[in-house]
Amino acid sequence: MTARTRAIARLGVRMMLHDRAKLIGTITGVVFAVVLGVQQLSILLGLLQKNTMFVDNAGADVWIVPPGTELLQPGSPMGVSVLSRARTTPGVEIAEPLVFSGATLAKPNGGVEPLTLVGTSLPSRLGGPWNVVAGSAGSLEQPDTMLFEDAERETYGGLDLGGLREVNGRAMRAGGFTWGLLPFGPAYAFAEIDVARDLSGTPRDESSFVLVKTLPGEDAEEVAARLRVAVPEQDVLTREAFSRSIVTALLRDQLGASFATSTSFGLLIGFVIVALSMFSSVLDNLREFGTLKAIGCTNRDLTLLIVCQAVFYALFGSLLGLGLVSQMAEGIRSPQLVPIVPAPLMAGVPFVMLGVCIVASSLALLRIRKLEPGMVFR
Amino acid sequence: MTTEVTVRVRALTKTFGEGALAFQALRGVDLDVERGEFSMLAGPSGSGKTTLLSILGCVLSPSSGEANVLGHDLGRLHPSRLPEMRLRSIGFIFQGHNLIASSTALDNVALPLELSGSSSKVARARAAELLERVGLGDKLAALPGQLSGGQRQRVAVARAVSTTPPLVLADEPTAALDAQSGLVVTELLRELARERGTTVLVVTHDSRIFHLADRIVHLEDGSIVDGPGAHA
Repeated sequence: MTARTRAIARLGVRMMLHDRAKLIGTITGVVFAVVLGVQQLSILLGLLQKNTMFVDNAGADVWIVPPGTELLQPGSPMGVSVLSRARTTPGVEIAEPLVFSGATLAKPNGGVEPLTLVGTSLPSRLGGPWNVVAGSAGSLEQPDTMLFEDAERETYGGLDLGGLREVNGRAMRAGGFTWGLLPFGPAYAFAEIDVARDLSGTPRDESSFVLVKTLPGEDAEEVAARLRVAVPEQDVLTREAFSRSIVTALLRDQLGASFATSTSFGLLIGFVIVALSMFSSVLDNLREFGTLKAIGCTNRDLTLLIVCQAVFYALFGSLLGLGLVSQMAEGIRSPQLVPIVPAPLMAGVPFVMLGVCIVASSLALLRIRKLEPGMVFR
Repeated sequence: MTTEVTVRVRALTKTFGEGALAFQALRGVDLDVERGEFSMLAGPSGSGKTTLLSILGCVLSPSSGEANVLGHDLGRLHPSRLPEMRLRSIGFIFQGHNLIASSTALDNVALPLELSGSSSKVARARAAELLERVGLGDKLAALPGQLSGGQRQRVAVARAVSTTPPLVLADEPTAALDAQSGLVVTELLRELARERGTTVLVVTHDSRIFHLADRIVHLEDGSIVDGPGAHA
């Protein structure tokens, strides 16, 4: 870096720090954009994770699903022959049926609450409960026992461990509680598969999905390809592909446009604040910029000066904004919603804001480039 | 005897606007300023003084005629070379001091030196010397807003001569100052110029400082009324 470049960079920072009101206004604009943008994205990621968590935590490497399945929703039930063919496909260690169905829980003081009833096969418990915070998943081996969502205990009328509730008209005991297993729809409630079949009226030889665990060392993609040949009437997806399919479907049909709009809106507002603030700062200091040109600064020097200011705004505003959004994410964390702020998002924010601030400074740059140094003599 | 000419102007005109709205600010000016001369350009408002100064300062282009500064024909100089010419060859003093409000007196004076490539350390040492020389050794860290009008203009003088340019152009440097401060600033400028052999052209209509000039050139309605070489 030359002495000239250093001098210009220092001057840019000094000019920026001198005008405190504009400095605070501009930084606020960047912070606002970061907070709104990152918060929206973290909530979106949290919601997506809520909808892929079952697939991600079911313990299955490959899913056999009804044709056309994009989301984790039951379609046409599968017959027992699908299960038999899956179990005899090379590379498959375990193949188990999974029942997925809507159900209702009757509250002691009247009224009902919806549940997403999950029937898992024992003892493998593929698609069984995880994040168990009270009781144990093993209690599903007990007759008429279910695991419910801890966050919904009050909703279910103050349900405690060992407590009884009627699910689809049958008394079930709470053998344990999970934490945070709340998708978009009603909370997951787990039962042994035949219990779930009885509760949901699903015939004993049918299931909603078939979950497959591959043998150690087997490639899930290759096993999935073999399964597609074995059960051509169903769709076969690896865990990653099913998870991606859910994300794609949600972004396309439900969440994408809404969150893209709010995130873009945050960035746009930040952009406008930074652009107007920097432009107004240049207007306020037009005579100083004219003087700098008169004493020998080139347009390149002054571009560097403005870009230095934009970089400072972007980095400082990003740091403040990320600090704030981390606090906010922690504050709104609940079983219903866990905002996710992944490291790549944190790392990417300063670069995005750098781009926003540099583009936003172009209005100010345009004004400076057009500035005639002769104006200082008028 | 031959003398070295710093500024040579011949048949210089400058017209602003076009058609019926055209205003001719300079009407065929001829002027020579010799090296080391301390000249003043006097005349009423609207006579073309500042226009002439702006052309010589490479911040305005003439409509016709020749303007030669330090051997460079300004009409033929590529626009991209003008900032470098202003930085290295011409020092400016403006009517309103035009210091950078966010920079200390020291940083204001050091800036042209740093732009010229001097390291920060060297530039600041040289700037401190100059501020000492103009009587502001105790104001190095002061911002322009913390200085009086006379002190600000002294900082501007130090800035103008910091790179030891062969030519200094001053536009009404005493206009915003009281009589005493105006005199002090102009004397200071003359002393510094003498020490360095700098040519100085001061635009002014402040008759209180006329006695400090080697020569006074009078402009009226865009023309020099007493011709090139007229001395006070």
